[in-house]
Amino acid sequence: MTHTLHRAGTVESLKTDYVILVMPAQGFNNEGAAPKMRGALEIILNHNPVSFGDMRTGNYFRKGMKQILENTQDNSICHGVFTNRKDLEECLTELKQANLGMSVVATGLIDDVHESAKKVGLTPHSMNLSLGVWGKKELLPEQDVLDITTMCGHHCVSPLLVKKLANEVKKDKICIEEAARTLAKQCVCGVVNPIRTERILEKIIEK
Amino acid sequence: MWFKLDYLTIYEHYIYITIILQLSKNQIKMVNRMKINPQRCVGCALCLPYCPEGAITMSREKKAVINRDKCIECAVCYNSSVCPVDAFEIEKLEYPRSVREVFATVYKTHGQTNVPGRGTEEMKTNDVTGRFKLGEIGFSVDMGRPGVGVDLVDAEKVTMALAKLGVEFEPENPITFLMKDVKTGELKEEVKGERVHSCIPEFKTKIERMSEILDALKEVSQKINSVFSLGCCIKLNPDGSIPEFVLQTLKEKNISYYPDAKTNIGLGRPLAE
Repeated sequence: MTHTLHRAGTVESLKTDYVILVMPAQGFNNEGAAPKMRGALEIILNHNPVSFGDMRTGNYFRKGMKQILENTQDNSICHGVFTNRKDLEECLTELKQANLGMSVVATGLIDDVHESAKKVGLTPHSMNLSLGVWGKKELLPEQDVLDITTMCGHHCVSPLLVKKLANEVKKDKICIEEAARTLAKQCVCGVVNPIRTERILEKIIEK
Repeated sequence: MWFKLDYLTIYEHYIYITIILQLSKNQIKMVNRMKINPQRCVGCALCLPYCPEGAITMSREKKAVINRDKCIECAVCYNSSVCPVDAFEIEKLEYPRSVREVFATVYKTHGQTNVPGRGTEEMKTNDVTGRFKLGEIGFSVDMGRPGVGVDLVDAEKVTMALAKLGVEFEPENPITFLMKDVKTGELKEEVKGERVHSCIPEFKTKIERMSEILDALKEVSQKINSVFSLGCCIKLNPDGSIPEFVLQTLKEKNISYYPDAKTNIGLGRPLAE
């Protein structure tokens, strides 16, 4: 499962996109993990996430904060999405201090994430690198559309919906914030970044 | 309420544990599939763009219909709640079509792994599990991603090409359960006509074999009518840097990696040896 890997985009765009994932290891430290996962979510919420969620329950836009917090389980996988390194670093610092024992994965620009980790006294342990898309690439939609849809690794965000909503924003039928939230809502895990989505939608509309 | 997809019940856990256990026995009986009730549908077409596969179209009778070949049973249409008249319905689905839903529905927990989603924990918990050690590399071939979908016959081309190299597929990955023989990578006959949103053959090997694995993947990527997103998992050096061998091999192969990546920052406990 690689749902926060393969997020496509320019370095400039990815500088507004950092995801933290927290999860227990099944068969190792999952027993009694549910309250720790809630603790992790509460920490994430302290640092201005623009989206968050739990794969077991759903995302903030669909389920709301209370339902997500109250339903963490021993196999929860919780996420928070941040738009800047300051929030990322402060969240990592608090997670370190809380010493929950759950695994924490940070997704984002490699140099930024590693610098941030070191800044707060953490040494990166393992990595998952994306070696890109292989095969019949002519089947893919336009790059701007992919920059949005690949934020949801389970591909619950439809390219057709991106284009439809961009068109509606262009025609002043809906505002860009609403379009971005509608797209983020489709991602069950809550890892689509609605702020970054707005910026990419602006580019699509300009074209 | 038993078949409402966003409602987790004890029954649901039972169903999904059953599904995976039965996959190896070819006896899946009860899972769900999407259907649009033509009597209810008012032809507003609001649901059409929500389908990631573009499988919903309008019929001559101006009703929304689902193309069963293209539909990968992800339930995004249903979960979007976009239909103003609740025309989406869920009905029971039988094996082998049921594999589509197993590989597409995010909320579901796979019975063997207890992990939601279509893959495994891979490096996300590597600080605790020690799944990948220094000197090893894991590959995840995320077939059909991003958003293209993949026929399982194409997935089989990849698994068979990899099996020829003698790789050991991750036993806990759902696609491994669909193999007739993990030594050949061949899939079971009855699932070969199916199409899934994505499936992720996963395996690990000695880092020295990285080059031949990449060559084999490059060759087979030209034989499939789809795409895959390729990922590799590595344990980092004690100072947190990427092993030089990995960087050098990618450079030699002229393969660039995305500027963003997933990094396990080592907070899991107990720490693996």
